Amino acid sequence: MEKKEYKPVRRHAGMPGGPHGARGGGEKAKDLVGIWKKLLGYCRKYLVISVIAILCSAIGTVLMLIGPDKLSELTDTITEGIMPPATSIDMDRVVQIGLTLVVFYVMSYLLSAIQGWIMSTVTQRVSKAMRSDISKKINRLPMWFYNQTTTGDVLSRVTNDVDTIGQSLNHSIGSMVSAIILFVGSLVMMLTTNGWMTLTAAVASLLGFVLMFSIMGKSQKYFTRQQKHLGEINGHIEEIYSGHTVVKAYNGEEEAQKVFDEMNRNLCESGFKAQCLSGLMMPIMGFIGNLGYVAVCVVGGAMALNGKISFGVIVAFMMYVRYFTQPLSQIAQAVQSLQSAGAAGERVFEFLEAEEMEEETEKISALLNVKGDVEFEHVRFGYEDSDATIIHDFSAKAVSGQKVAIVGPTGAGKTTLVNLLMRFHEIQGGEIRIDGTPIHRLTRAAVHSLFCMVLQDTWLFEGTVRENLVYNNERADEEKMKEACRAVGLDHFIRTLPQGYDTVLNDQVNLSQGQKQQLTIARAMIANKPMLILDEATSSVDTRTEQQIQTAMDQLMKDRTSFVIAHRLSTIKNADLILVLKDGDIIESGTHEALLERGGFYAELYNSQFEVAM
Amino acid sequence: MLSTFFLTMEALADLLQPTFMSMIVDRGIRNASVRQILFYGVCMLFIALAGAGCAVMRNGFASRVSQIVGKELRRDMYHNVQLLSMENIDRLRPASIITRITNDVAQIQEFVNGIMRIMVKAPIICVGAIILILVQTPGQAPVIAGILLVVSVLIFGNMRVGYPRFGKVQERLDRLNGVTREFLSSVRVVKAFNAEDGEMEKFDGVSWELARANTSALRTMAVFSPFISLTVNFGVVLLLWISKSAQSAEIGRLMASVNYMTQVLFAVGMISNTLNTAVRAAASSARISEVLCEKPAQRMPAQPLMPEICGDIRFERVSFSYAGAGKEALHDINVHIHPGETVGIIGSTGSGKTTFVNLVPRFYDATKGKLLIDGCDVTQIDTKCLRTAVAVVPQKALLFSGTIKENLRWGREEADDEELCRAAEVACADEFIIKSAQGYDTLLGQGGVNLSGGQKQRLSLARALVRNPKILILDDGTSALDAQTESDVLKGLGGMGGKMTVLLVSQRISTVMRTDRILCLDRGRVQGYGTHDELMDSCTVYREIYDSQIGGGYHGGA
Repeated sequence: MEKKEYKPVRRHAGMPGGPHGARGGGEKAKDLVGIWKKLLGYCRKYLVISVIAILCSAIGTVLMLIGPDKLSELTDTITEGIMPPATSIDMDRVVQIGLTLVVFYVMSYLLSAIQGWIMSTVTQRVSKAMRSDISKKINRLPMWFYNQTTTGDVLSRVTNDVDTIGQSLNHSIGSMVSAIILFVGSLVMMLTTNGWMTLTAAVASLLGFVLMFSIMGKSQKYFTRQQKHLGEINGHIEEIYSGHTVVKAYNGEEEAQKVFDEMNRNLCESGFKAQCLSGLMMPIMGFIGNLGYVAVCVVGGAMALNGKISFGVIVAFMMYVRYFTQPLSQIAQAVQSLQSAGAAGERVFEFLEAEEMEEETEKISALLNVKGDVEFEHVRFGYEDSDATIIHDFSAKAVSGQKVAIVGPTGAGKTTLVNLLMRFHEIQGGEIRIDGTPIHRLTRAAVHSLFCMVLQDTWLFEGTVRENLVYNNERADEEKMKEACRAVGLDHFIRTLPQGYDTVLNDQVNLSQGQKQQLTIARAMIANKPMLILDEATSSVDTRTEQQIQTAMDQLMKDRTSFVIAHRLSTIKNADLILVLKDGDIIESGTHEALLERGGFYAELYNSQFEVAM
Repeated sequence: MLSTFFLTMEALADLLQPTFMSMIVDRGIRNASVRQILFYGVCMLFIALAGAGCAVMRNGFASRVSQIVGKELRRDMYHNVQLLSMENIDRLRPASIITRITNDVAQIQEFVNGIMRIMVKAPIICVGAIILILVQTPGQAPVIAGILLVVSVLIFGNMRVGYPRFGKVQERLDRLNGVTREFLSSVRVVKAFNAEDGEMEKFDGVSWELARANTSALRTMAVFSPFISLTVNFGVVLLLWISKSAQSAEIGRLMASVNYMTQVLFAVGMISNTLNTAVRAAASSARISEVLCEKPAQRMPAQPLMPEICGDIRFERVSFSYAGAGKEALHDINVHIHPGETVGIIGSTGSGKTTFVNLVPRFYDATKGKLLIDGCDVTQIDTKCLRTAVAVVPQKALLFSGTIKENLRWGREEADDEELCRAAEVACADEFIIKSAQGYDTLLGQGGVNLSGGQKQRLSLARALVRNPKILILDDGTSALDAQTESDVLKGLGGMGGKMTVLLVSQRISTVMRTDRILCLDRGRVQGYGTHDELMDSCTVYREIYDSQIGGGYHGGA
């Protein structure tokens, strides 16, 4: 797949005077044809049924075309009856033509209903396929991608952009096809009726197309901008509402409102330009239609005068001209809607084509009988989006079953180390080995399956307590789950909830931060994997509960290589190996006692937490 | 107004054309006068040109109006949501609010644009054409009436059937938004648990539901819309059928009638096109007005007090329970905190510490009892005034995407660089800020993803300090700091001069021990309130905590 540079959306934290003004003007009209190719690629799966739909609309259109022909026959028949020297109207013929017309109309109704039915199914399937691809993509993107983009912007791509594509495909593909057929069809019908009159109409409409394409070229960039601004607004709102507490606490409403207003104005402006420019197409096409109409009238009138054509022919021709020029404005309308689909598609594909993590099919997908020897060798790392090196030259070795504690001041790179071990980020130098196998030779999933992980940030999703506990672990049985909850001291609390383990956790159930941590620890216990990572897992749990958890944890850590990050040094006193990290380097290592004896950085750190200084 | 004028002109132009056409036929061709044909032809072209000109103007207005409507709607919703309390937001759900502000508004916008373009024009053409038909050939009135009746029944039926379906579509879109949001905010955990497949399944589930809802709604449209043109087509046939007996009918008139009827046909076609968006917009507008009508759960005082807050906090028999939860999170709290005091709050997980401090800046209102700040009932104080005086460092450090400087300025917009630096210094954040590549201009990702937990907390604290608050609430805001840094931070706070009331929630006894007084909570009740020594004597819960951390078996000491 071709790689394109993904342009993350950067926004500003609600402070006025952000560089918003500088934006705009820079976008080029992207490769529309390419985007449409990809969009249509999604429809390929539904090719057969789409062809049926198109056929339906084609046949329906043909029927529409024959309609006026029959109408003119009807008119002629009646006229013959009225005009002297005729005596009476040929009733049989009138009835016959009338019935044919009715049949035609009913059929064209059915066909267009079928076409609409099929198209609505197809477009929704296509949208769904697109959304699925986005969700797959979310999994394949490297972690640093999420450091650069806002949740809301990705959300906007999933909902608004895909929605726009779906809606406009549904609206316009059908009418586009029928318009084109109508156009070509009426051209043919006109040709068979009268060549000169056809030529007149054709010249007029050619003019229209030229104008339409030039407008399209101009307005496309505004459509792109519109979708982009919509994404930005989405990002802003998402962020503000996730941080509602802080926004409120800091009276940030006004600033946020200012930023919002600015974005809102941008969106309004680009929306206006897009719509206004592309909206020009309709009246222009309408005028071209009228021009053709008049021209045909004049030419037709002149010809009728000479007696070259009948009145019926003129009537039919008037209709044809309508049918001939009406698709022009229909096409104009469809093009307008397709333009916004193009802009939305651009954003969707931009996301889908963002650089992915490397392909892993050839890697080892599972490491069996893991003992749990972990070795860091000269690991060097800096985050992908910055130049600073965080870990310079890190080497350490954990033997199977050991409890390794990583301590150090904030920002020393403790969490980073864990991220590297989990392969959330790729190291830039050196190697990390598990049981002698470098982890870059394993698939990420294989690495993840080796570790239970309890993170600083607790994460619970909307679902029952039970679902949260047995997250992605179907084998966990009820008893084991309850046991884990008892171990972390949560069982009692859960049982006081209205529906116990089946209580749905959402915004309305107020779990304290500590309870959330207990829950995630229980989750890790249930997951039961060969190695364990605890990153500040108990920071918000009170110390009494912590002690209780500690016992359970010790049980859990037995025979498991575990990595523990904690600020409360009491929790890691019994570690087999303590690594003291500062600025990405190990400055001391050893057991608790050895380190205390040494009287270095660790000893200082340890003693400071019992200081009562005031 | 202007746009209606242009619209009317445009429609008029469209309407006059068949008349001119019939004149061309009746007068020009009948009288065998090429001059007449040309005359009427030129007239017609002029009118068409004028019509197109009007259309261009009208298009400009329509775009303007629809965009402005959208903009205002978004602004009003956003504004209203800002006014809502936590409870409202919890109930409406952020994911849903987001879809409402963007997607639902877009639906309305499209509809407004459509209606300006077509809906107004179409009825004018329709009505005009029908009147002209009636004037020229009055005999056809019943046919016209019949057609109109059927068409309006169809439109009405379409609305009835489509409305709930489109409502569902938007609802499903909410859900998709919610699931995706959850997914995105937890990519790391999902990966750690190798739960990608499960998440995708969940995603696919909602996405599928959305597709189904959409399909069902659109199918309704697919069946209804063409029905309308079918009806009008029948009308044309009927017209001709009837006119067969009208012996005296001039051919020109007949042709004009048929032509007008086709005009009606087109107009109706346009209406049915817009109907699609109209039904969807109706569903969306219901959702939007739900947000706009949501009354803030907290009532704002009619005449808010704006006292000079100096930080005296008094809880008088305060109880509190979260909406929907049966149990009280706080029960009968009586506490008085003097200005300038530093009060430590300690208690086990879930004992109500966070709830306690959340009442002070009025994130929630007490369900029973009164909370007085400087003697004023907190519900009577202007919220803005209150929150300017109170700064909160929450448990979970919430930062926003933007530069560090911008994040700090949330504290106080007009703070200058020096003030920012000073606050960062006290929070022990200056050190790592300076080390970052761009210093204070370093960009943070959403929620500060590129910082460590401790760094986030320190920034969040610095942000609070920039505010120069009278009341500072640290809700376990130092939990991710190592002991040394924490101690430095607290010393720094102490050095800020005792003008600030500090509420310090912590798990660490060593942290609260240094405070003037300690509030010990357990299961929403006050277990003890006093100095460290007092509590050691009188409060068992406190002593237990102390023993667990410092006393029992843990060496190291004061």
